[in-house]
Amino acid sequence: MRDLTLPQNSTVANLMQRIPGVAIMLIICILGFALLSPDFLSMRNIANVGVQSAILLMISLPMTLVIMTEGIDMSIGAVLTFCGVVAAYVLGQTHNLPIAIVIAVGVGLVIGLMNGAIIVYANMPPFVVTLGTLGICQSLALILTDGQSLTDVGDSIGLAYNGHLLGIPLPIYFALISYLVSYVLLYHTRFGTYVCAIGGNRDALKLAGVRVNLHHVAVYAFSGVMAGVASILLTARMSAGHPTAAIGMEFDAIAAVIVGGTSFEKGNGWLFGTFLGVLTVGVLRNGLNLVGVQSSVQVASIGLLVLVALLLDSLKSKA
Amino acid sequence: MTQPILELRSISKFFPGIKALDQVSFDVFSGEVHMLLGENGAGKSTLMKVLCGAYQADAGEIYYQGQPVKITNPSDARALGIAVIFQEFSLVPYLNIAQNIFLGREYSGKIPGTIDHARMHAEARHWLDVLSLNIDTHTLVHTLGVAQQQMVEIAKALSQNAKILVMDEPTAALSDRETSLLFEMIRKLQSEGVAIVYISHRMAEVFSMGDRITVLRDGKQVGSADPKTTTPDELVQMMVGRRVDMAYARKFTSKPGQVALKITNLCSDNGITDISIEVREGEIVGLAGLVGAGRTEVARAVFGVDKVTSGTVEIFGKNRTGEPFNSVKMGLALIPESRKIEGLALIRSVEENIILSGLSKIFPSTWIQVKKAQQISQDLISRLRIATPSGKRAAMLLSGGNQQKIVIGKWLTTDSKIYIFDEPTRGIDIGAKAEIFALIYKLVEEGAAVLMISSELSEIVNVCDKAYVMREGRISGILEKSELTEENVLTLGMTNA
Repeated sequence: MRDLTLPQNSTVANLMQRIPGVAIMLIICILGFALLSPDFLSMRNIANVGVQSAILLMISLPMTLVIMTEGIDMSIGAVLTFCGVVAAYVLGQTHNLPIAIVIAVGVGLVIGLMNGAIIVYANMPPFVVTLGTLGICQSLALILTDGQSLTDVGDSIGLAYNGHLLGIPLPIYFALISYLVSYVLLYHTRFGTYVCAIGGNRDALKLAGVRVNLHHVAVYAFSGVMAGVASILLTARMSAGHPTAAIGMEFDAIAAVIVGGTSFEKGNGWLFGTFLGVLTVGVLRNGLNLVGVQSSVQVASIGLLVLVALLLDSLKSKA
Repeated sequence: MTQPILELRSISKFFPGIKALDQVSFDVFSGEVHMLLGENGAGKSTLMKVLCGAYQADAGEIYYQGQPVKITNPSDARALGIAVIFQEFSLVPYLNIAQNIFLGREYSGKIPGTIDHARMHAEARHWLDVLSLNIDTHTLVHTLGVAQQQMVEIAKALSQNAKILVMDEPTAALSDRETSLLFEMIRKLQSEGVAIVYISHRMAEVFSMGDRITVLRDGKQVGSADPKTTTPDELVQMMVGRRVDMAYARKFTSKPGQVALKITNLCSDNGITDISIEVREGEIVGLAGLVGAGRTEVARAVFGVDKVTSGTVEIFGKNRTGEPFNSVKMGLALIPESRKIEGLALIRSVEENIILSGLSKIFPSTWIQVKKAQQISQDLISRLRIATPSGKRAAMLLSGGNQQKIVIGKWLTTDSKIYIFDEPTRGIDIGAKAEIFALIYKLVEEGAAVLMISSELSEIVNVCDKAYVMREGRISGILEKSELTEENVLTLGMTNA
């Protein structure tokens, strides 16, 4: 029997257990690229990393929540792409930015709700359901654009990506606001508590009289909405709706979440870890670009990053 | 005290093939501790789940202070002031103590939609102090030990200011000190008029804490007793009763041969201590005890799944070490308790499952001859009389009894000499039970040694040559055939201290 009087400062211990894996790798990446490329630590490049990471962060945040429910959203890259194309299409038809934003986010919401409803009410595996959605959204994006880029989007949307406020690029604001919203949602609302409980002990939540299914669906709806919001940035970045713009981006998002220390089991998630994970992926991609590594090799480097992160964490948990 | 605060009348609950509760009536008064007693599977936990809204009764009525009520979900139960301390923890591992205590009842913060963490932690602190638990309420629950988790579970129930408190073996994981704290709390709640339903296996508690005792057996209410006038022996008698299902009873013709499996002073990292067991060829040895006594853990340690920290396992005089793979090579077979999880590839066909363990023995050269494999499978299917329209059918589509036969059949191809059965008849009907036992008897007649874990007293008594009884991770007694009665098994399995 354990001694109940022993104080256990587990929050600190917990942090110590988790920080190193992702933080160490981030620091190693930063130091490494700083040595290899003199441009890496310039203000311009640092802002660049932030801007390039913004979209990834905006889809990695909801991915963290989804994974905390012991689920996964394979469709988020395709939904992001499709919503971006929808935004471009609506802009081309109406030249009205607010309407385009509302419709793109609305489409994301609807797809997210459908994902969630099928997963929760039909009791289907999240991987399979969202893989199906991935295919559908990819195809819809191609159908809507006829395989071409939609370039008639006007000038107003470009501001969202290229504009500055107080000398800081707008996408960084979007990213930080998204982080704050997710943070409050996860740590300061019932919804966030229940997200953790759905993955940790779904039965306990049911026994506590909570309408578990609704909250479970809402997690995927949040994922869809965030993809919709991020799609505005995506379309702004290219000043066009491109039908394969963010295909495969779920890979980076899942990698960032895992590298950040969120586990696929028991609702063990860490939002700030995801933030660091996104930065690590961002720094890695940016740095490899600066050093002149081909993009085909970059994908492998991110795969390697994930493997090293998992290995580090498993070594730590054994220690 | 004229009218019970809660009364269940003629509650029945059916599961496929099983009557979990059969016309059970049960009531509890304010300020009373009502003890609920019964063997494993007697229906105690089912009754509790009906009370808290996790299950709905198929028949019967529930009255709250004389008024008929419906409890269709956990919220209904909570609204009536019913709180439950579960045996299987209802805690969320990566939420902190305060979040767990207030799960589903979070206080709202000033900003709409947010949670008032400060208030939750303050109140959680209060309840931990009441239980003399000196842990930070920000601690994540998964870092706590079992006893601490149990205390959090208790704090969670207390904080609901329940009028009716249901406890399912609350002391199972607690030390003496925590137990006495809990009993103090119970006395205090009792004096405040809280009605308490208390499920226990420990005789001492039943007599020291109980105002009234109800005994369940096989889903039926067999009687009530007053702890002042009854004795432990009488209670055991009520719990055991008389059995009718002897269809599988064994005709004893066994002639034990040499010692096949010899376990000496075995300890594992999974909570078993100083286990010594001997099983001879041609003999069925029972391993009895309550759920959680450590029987499955013994099987796991012997087979090499759990790490052995000290002691030895000898198979025909040779030391068994290393991985389960070695155990299989040495002729040991383990038929696990949760066949769906550990024993079967559910979506694969009957044929594929049945030949799985024997593949390396039948086809030592890696290559599998599909024809031959099918032939062997078909052979086994007919030998075991597995009821399936075809060998190609997915294992999950078969009944529990037939699934169990597949798991046994798997081992027949490996020429095992020693079989460990963990709850071989759990969840299967009486007909299939008889066939499973017929199979086991046949193995024994052919000289196999069998160690059988079972929670059903009648199985232990009617099937085994002798039995070891476990309690709290240790062997609490050995019963030779002449002493092997249900009463003796039960008495050894229960904590009297």
